[in-house]
Amino acid sequence: MDNAGSQSTVGSSYHTGKKTTHEPMNRPHSSFIVDGLGFKSIIDLLPCYLSIQDRSMHILFANQTFKYDFGEGIGNLCHKVYKGSPEKCETCPVQKTFDDKKVHISEERVRLSNGQMADMIVYSSPIEDSSGNVIAVIEMSTNITKVKEMQKELKNLGQSIAILSHDIKNILEGLQGGAYVVDEGLNDGNMELATRGWEIVKRNIDEITTVAQNILYSSKKRDLNYQKTSLNEVIVDVINLFQQKAKAMNIKLEYKTNTALPRIRLDPLSIRRMLENFIWNALEACKKDEGKQDHAVIVSADFHDRFHLKFEVEDNGVGMDEKTRASIFNEFYSTKGSEGTGLGLLVADRIIKEHGGRVEVFSNPGKGTIFRVIFRIN
Amino acid sequence: MEHLSKILIIDDNPDYLFTMATFLKRNGFETLTAEDGQKGIDILEKERPDLILLDVMMESTYSGLDVCKRVRVNPDLKDTPIIGISGMGEELGVRLEKWGDEDYFNVNEFFDKPVDKERLLSKIRDLLEEGLIKKGKAFRIAGKLYKKK
Repeated sequence: MDNAGSQSTVGSSYHTGKKTTHEPMNRPHSSFIVDGLGFKSIIDLLPCYLSIQDRSMHILFANQTFKYDFGEGIGNLCHKVYKGSPEKCETCPVQKTFDDKKVHISEERVRLSNGQMADMIVYSSPIEDSSGNVIAVIEMSTNITKVKEMQKELKNLGQSIAILSHDIKNILEGLQGGAYVVDEGLNDGNMELATRGWEIVKRNIDEITTVAQNILYSSKKRDLNYQKTSLNEVIVDVINLFQQKAKAMNIKLEYKTNTALPRIRLDPLSIRRMLENFIWNALEACKKDEGKQDHAVIVSADFHDRFHLKFEVEDNGVGMDEKTRASIFNEFYSTKGSEGTGLGLLVADRIIKEHGGRVEVFSNPGKGTIFRVIFRIN
Repeated sequence: MEHLSKILIIDDNPDYLFTMATFLKRNGFETLTAEDGQKGIDILEKERPDLILLDVMMESTYSGLDVCKRVRVNPDLKDTPIIGISGMGEELGVRLEKWGDEDYFNVNEFFDKPVDKERLLSKIRDLLEEGLIKKGKAFRIAGKLYKKK
């Protein structure tokens, strides 16, 4: 078996993910592997990227795994090959090793030759000449994209739980407080007080219902069930659901539709969930606003331009300042609210992204807010 | 003592304001309420309450921490006991600790929602008594509080 032959056989099995099976009776002797393949081939086949750079960051050597994912590389600048950048990487471990002769580690985000981005953990160690001068640096990188993705999912999960626990604590506080007021009213035969307490209890039951629906939505990894959907019909359905609640809160809830709108491919259940969360948020914004007597929430659907349709949910509630507006879809921010809506806007944002849509937010403190969601006509 | 004590409740949740005010009134305190930090500051400068019950994480122009700061930097108000309340107990606890060096963020006591009402009541009484002693309006002998006439 010559070097080139073994190299291509094992090399292709690595890259296609097939496992090389070994016959237990025919276990190759270690000297056979080293002598047979040769160190050069072993280095070529290492399941990590290995290269050697000179002081000017030119690649002097790259193993086969490297060439497979980054192209030939030799003779080129490493930052050019890894990141397409004319500048040296800020956290370059190779440079550090040249400077202090020590091993360095860094995490880098790079672009593979197929255009995909990947996260790498990069190690560098020095090659010294007989007088101890660093003449080149060996760089070894491993693709940790999957680990990074997992880390991100765990972080999201942790944040969702933090939001939930905050929401539930607030609702519990509301339920306990409401029940206390009911008790006191009943003890005194004061029906007015008891009624007021009962309203607080009911509001908190509504809130926990919304929270539970959002938990269900965000915990299930469900496939979207695309159907030709009429935005007008979605609006009418959802408005009917909220009409009574809005009346109880003394907020006018209106809608505007446009019969000329075409049906577009959306998952109607998700879109309803999204709209419910925006309306809930708008009603809360009105409830919090002490500055005005009359409050209204207007939900509409219309053309945005020739290629897009839009939903709008407009309220004349408390509004938001620039800082708040910029951070409402941020998971940490949502935990700051005092009402059980923390997860609602996050879920809405996720639904919009899943549908390839986008959301715009216009808001004026003290005046109100417009959420505009834009979907492409497919 | 309670009949003399005015408690200001600052919280942006109107239901919470109402239930807490009902609870405190029924336990003999006089209550004032404010639904945002700005109103809270106005009331406390005018009415000089004996204790403040403060939602630390309000989303108004003046957050709970701003109110705290305004109280602590005002020589006339700085000794007013503040009980901080929030639904994000542990996370906030960490932050308060971080700000520990900056005196004006200090709350006297911190409660996580849902609030244990009996413990809250006993803490309010303790802080009010300490306040009276500090102001020279009362003294304690063998654990018993005596008010000066």
